[in-house]
Amino acid sequence: MYNNRRNILTGLVWISPWIIGFMVFLCVPIGMSIYYSLTDYGLMDAPIFIGIDNYRELASDQLFVKSAFNTALFAAISVFMSLVVSLGLAILLEQHLKGASLVRSLIFIPTLVPVVANCIIWLWLLNPSAGVVAAIGSAIGSPSLNPLGDAQLAMPTLALISVWVVGSPLLVCTAALKDVPGTLYEAAAMDGMGPLRRCIHVTLPMITPALGFNAIMSIIWSIQVIAPPMIMTRGGPENSTLTFSMYIYKTAFEFGRMGYASALAWIQILITMLIAIGVLSLARRVIFYRGAN
Amino acid sequence: MVHSDHHPQNPLTRREASGVIARRAGGLFVASKTLIGGAALVGTGYWLANHTPRSRRDIPPGRTVIDYWEKWTGPEGVAIQLIVDQFNQSQERIWVRRTAVSEIDTKAMVAIGGGDPPDVCGVFSYNIPQYAQAGAVIPLSDFSHQNALYPRGLSTTQSMSPDHYAPAVAKLLSSHGKLIAGVSSIYSLALYYNKEMFRAAGLDPQSPPRTIEELDEYAERLTIKNQNGTIVQAGFLPNLPAWWPYSWPLLFGAKLYDPSTNAAGFDSDQTIRAYQWVRSCARRFGMSATSAFATANDRNYHSAQDPFISGKVAMIAQGPWLANFIGLYNPNLEYAAAPLPVAADLLDPQAPIGMLEADVLVIPRGCRNPQAAYEFIAFTQRQEVQEQLAREHTKSSPLAVCSPAFFAGHRNPYVQVHDAITRSTRVSVLPQTTVWKSYAHLTAGVFDSAWKGSDDVAATCKNVNVRVQAMMDRDSSLQMRRNRVQ
Repeated sequence: MYNNRRNILTGLVWISPWIIGFMVFLCVPIGMSIYYSLTDYGLMDAPIFIGIDNYRELASDQLFVKSAFNTALFAAISVFMSLVVSLGLAILLEQHLKGASLVRSLIFIPTLVPVVANCIIWLWLLNPSAGVVAAIGSAIGSPSLNPLGDAQLAMPTLALISVWVVGSPLLVCTAALKDVPGTLYEAAAMDGMGPLRRCIHVTLPMITPALGFNAIMSIIWSIQVIAPPMIMTRGGPENSTLTFSMYIYKTAFEFGRMGYASALAWIQILITMLIAIGVLSLARRVIFYRGAN
Repeated sequence: MVHSDHHPQNPLTRREASGVIARRAGGLFVASKTLIGGAALVGTGYWLANHTPRSRRDIPPGRTVIDYWEKWTGPEGVAIQLIVDQFNQSQERIWVRRTAVSEIDTKAMVAIGGGDPPDVCGVFSYNIPQYAQAGAVIPLSDFSHQNALYPRGLSTTQSMSPDHYAPAVAKLLSSHGKLIAGVSSIYSLALYYNKEMFRAAGLDPQSPPRTIEELDEYAERLTIKNQNGTIVQAGFLPNLPAWWPYSWPLLFGAKLYDPSTNAAGFDSDQTIRAYQWVRSCARRFGMSATSAFATANDRNYHSAQDPFISGKVAMIAQGPWLANFIGLYNPNLEYAAAPLPVAADLLDPQAPIGMLEADVLVIPRGCRNPQAAYEFIAFTQRQEVQEQLAREHTKSSPLAVCSPAFFAGHRNPYVQVHDAITRSTRVSVLPQTTVWKSYAHLTAGVFDSAWKGSDDVAATCKNVNVRVQAMMDRDSSLQMRRNRVQ
């Protein structure tokens, strides 16, 4: 009993830096942000308690609605494309083709490049006068191709660019594919299944945990996206690329409304949690865990 | 024979004995490692305690060090450093340490809120209402001039006074009758144009456009497109750059804000006319072509690829700093500057219309050395110092009185255009309201939608006006509540 308590105490002492860090840098700020969301607070002066006024204001805030819609659009395109492309590439690279390892490495390289550098590369590729995309557009008879300058195209373009860093989900899919027992394919082949049916009825069910993981990570990342629109479009044109996180940042640090920004952040957390819970409950029905009852 | 400590009656085998010896030796080794580690820590601590950081090595002993955050880098940073050096050499009590800081207004806000601000901060004049309302800066009028280095022209009993500055500048530096900040530089927008392109298009370089109608006509003659419809040379485009989306209504006589009634003025006929004109520019030269031209040049300003400096655009609305960058990247460029064209019914060459903004120096609340900071700011407000900085930044002087030599040796040959705007009776300053940044963000949306032709201009302006007014009303009521609480 004494030893047990002593062990616990020793353990707590050893992990105390982490606990202290967790309390100081996570718990306290979380608590403070709940309080600030109920205040008028501009960072430089003392917060004034205003109840739920900040949350009430959200209902009539057109930029909040716009940024929420933009983020949803980004997430929908980005998550779908990321899942499809990573899965497609992983299956393709598992076909024992020549140079598959090299291609896999090349696909992973953009993941290692800092996001700012990636954005600058894409800015040049999409430059309407000197970019490769504009040159292609010019060759096919669309000389003023300017996807980042078009309010309808800017956000889908950013979402498609996000697929550029598909290396991590690709690795997860690859690992899952390698884990599918070969006996299942042999049995399916003996039952007369062709490659497409084997993929649909054997491969996909067996890798659903990996797909579920990729989907949840991708959704969370998409809802929080800030760097690409901040660097590439600054939220324009016509606020068409103003994402939720960007609006929170601007509200807090440009417009000087930390209280309202805290309320926005809590709404973002709530939305993220609801989506994550939704995906997880769906996953429970769809995902097949080997060995589970 | 070796015996165990706990069971002396049981003699140890040779193997057990060597294990005990090894454990003891291991213990000694660990202890010696701990000792060495401890000694290293103590040594490092001793070295750090006696070590002077690189940033303090050049500071003469015994001086009060004040930290000064400033936004400028490159030639503008060099110019302000010269002033700092002059101050450091002019006396033996204070040492100013300048740090170049990007996104300075945001970082200053966080530093002030966090209680660890610099002693002097170079922010923008549009920050002043917000800072003043929050009590985030110490008004300069609260300081005494005792022991200070007095600005030339001010008596020793007087505090730094708004009369020291041109009237519009004094307005920018003040809030509720108090002088909040000192000035470091000012800018107004003017029309810079390429004389060679004017001649090539059969236009007289001595007669720049003076009205919006003339501007449209000149722009049309100066614009060159290729067979694909791509703009090769732009005459004038209001989205090039789109940094001041709120400035166009001023050229049509609009007032963005009425401080006497705390009312936004974004739904006036003049404002709507201004954005209808913006839309007409996009339509005239093609929305896709103009947007593509602007996006292609979006990252090139103030570089060798700057569209004006590299000869891709004939006329551009820019501040006086452009002369600095022309001198740096294309000194042979033949250019001139004139006041921005205005609506024909507002034309008065004696009183040009324009927008004035300032870079300002504030003393944040909670800084370590406010009095020393004040002395530094007082030094920078001297006429000779202000004129030196303005010359280096190719800008006009913010002071009420200019020395005769100021214009003679100036590096911007068209500084008098900016000076005339500064001293004009029709010069405007940005709305002095705490919600200006949110207001400006909304005007960018109006400009974009006018350019793309996506919404009705009048309806968009009215919508923004309602939203801005709601923000200002909310801010006023919260301020009243805040005053009651305090």
